[in-house]
Amino acid sequence: MSDDLEDHLRSALGHASERAPQAPNGLPAQVMAHSRRRRARAQALVAAVAVVAVAGGVGVAAHGSGGVPASGTLSPAQTPSVEILTSTPSPSGGQASEGPDPVEKVWPQAVWKIPAKLPDGRAFRPKTFIDDRTLLLETWERPGKADALYSYELDSGRTRKIADIGGPDVFPFAYAVGDGRIVWQENDSSDKGWATRFRSVPVTGGEPETITTDRRVLAVDNELAVVGDRLVFSEAEGKGVFTVPLEGGALKQVKGTERHRVVRWPWVGVLTESVQNLPENYERLLNVDTGETSRAVVRPGERRVRCGVKECAGGRADGTLFHRLRDGSQEGDLPGSVPMGLAADRFHTFETPGPRRGQVLYDLVTGKSGDLGLPFDIDGPPISLEPGLGNGRLLAYPRKGEYVIINLTKIP
Amino acid sequence: MDDDPRFADFVAERADALLRYGYVLSGNPHDAADLTQEALIRLHRAWSRVRRKHDPESYTRVIMARLHVSVWRLRRRERLDWDLPEEASLDSFPSDAEQGLWEALEGLPRKQRAVLVLRYYEQLTDTEIAKVLNISRGTVRSHASLGLGKLRSVLPHPTAANRRTQ
Repeated sequence: MSDDLEDHLRSALGHASERAPQAPNGLPAQVMAHSRRRRARAQALVAAVAVVAVAGGVGVAAHGSGGVPASGTLSPAQTPSVEILTSTPSPSGGQASEGPDPVEKVWPQAVWKIPAKLPDGRAFRPKTFIDDRTLLLETWERPGKADALYSYELDSGRTRKIADIGGPDVFPFAYAVGDGRIVWQENDSSDKGWATRFRSVPVTGGEPETITTDRRVLAVDNELAVVGDRLVFSEAEGKGVFTVPLEGGALKQVKGTERHRVVRWPWVGVLTESVQNLPENYERLLNVDTGETSRAVVRPGERRVRCGVKECAGGRADGTLFHRLRDGSQEGDLPGSVPMGLAADRFHTFETPGPRRGQVLYDLVTGKSGDLGLPFDIDGPPISLEPGLGNGRLLAYPRKGEYVIINLTKIP
Repeated sequence: MDDDPRFADFVAERADALLRYGYVLSGNPHDAADLTQEALIRLHRAWSRVRRKHDPESYTRVIMARLHVSVWRLRRRERLDWDLPEEASLDSFPSDAEQGLWEALEGLPRKQRAVLVLRYYEQLTDTEIAKVLNISRGTVRSHASLGLGKLRSVLPHPTAANRRTQ
């Protein structure tokens, strides 16, 4: 019963809170000292940026767009230092003291700015790429509750409605595109407990159809994939990876994936959890097409290590951050705070210090960074642009009445 | 930035309560310490403004909730001098159902968990939660519904749950 659940939850949270650690003696003084140090460091960094930029320019330019190494092939010597990163000069030569150039200037071939509203004035959110030139947009009946899908052609700016989606108490989310269709999941509102229903619609538009399944599907991870004419998904709580025909039918468990989840198809992984290394990480991966396995190196004392299919990122025991290949080689420094995973095994976002405090998109492969144009505002909404693992190649965020769209695969 | 003695008093008096809140938000002592530390540092930097306009504790709790669901929650550059247990306390919950629910909370996405903690630990209304997390009330309700749904699916009958062997 719902009331039982809610009562137990209240009680469990109350009892759990009693397990919390206690504040150390002298915490107020420590916090104040730390706060002062942070302010001093921010000021020092601002002062240092102009100097470092001159010195760092040579190093960065030496492995600029001319001979970009492939992802994951950087040697430590090629990896720019943290100091350079906060002041990476752009090809167009922006003023160093102002930090990196805007992303649209650094990667013009990969960045679009589109109006933040549809022609009829409705707000939307870009969800994924339908193809290289077309975005999938979602509108809502009310914030958080999607009610329609649209396509948006980046070249022409033309918008087309694909379908109405959702319904009373139905919340569509987690879209994937493939085989000429858009697929998503939603809660099965007819089910008293939690169950997932998959729906799909042709990318050219039409009436959404339910992908019938031969058994009840419980909670599903957000990472869906369309492979051939089948939908691939992992049941949450590590129950394994399954496929189902897009036209509906019997679920089929992918062989050898009893505890796995989809990381980036055809790679699946088992989450490794430990108190020392939260949040969880995909230390072991399996390529279900080839049978290849991969075990990520995590060294003693390292924390928050998050690995993608090629590259890991995390914190060293001394508090500095690193990125390196899964086998532990080719380690380099990472600026900012520990990411939730690098996007496409090469992109990281971090917060810059200084008067133009904001967020930067940083490319590990070329060492280039671009200012996302998101001012830091402690009282503002918690805008956090975090590429993460998975298939995503879209970074999209609202900025001054527009949406900034970045296709990560178009960054050379 | 001022070193108002009232800031020190506030931290001394409220840090443990904030840690308890951080612990149920994050589920582990390390994140609880990080969240509390970071929120207090930010409170210190904004202390005079906050004290004029807000209740410092509410402000700090809002910062903690937002940090927890944002990228900045992962900052872990300079940990203060915490003496944290390497493993969660072994104190048991009074019932298997609670133990099971606490474990199941680990499987929820951060925002769903945050909404449930704000609703069932902080006892906030959905409107208040929406304000704290800067999302709409509809989103709060959908996170809550998804989160509860997942907990329910993990524990179809919490009272009958028997996940522990001892």
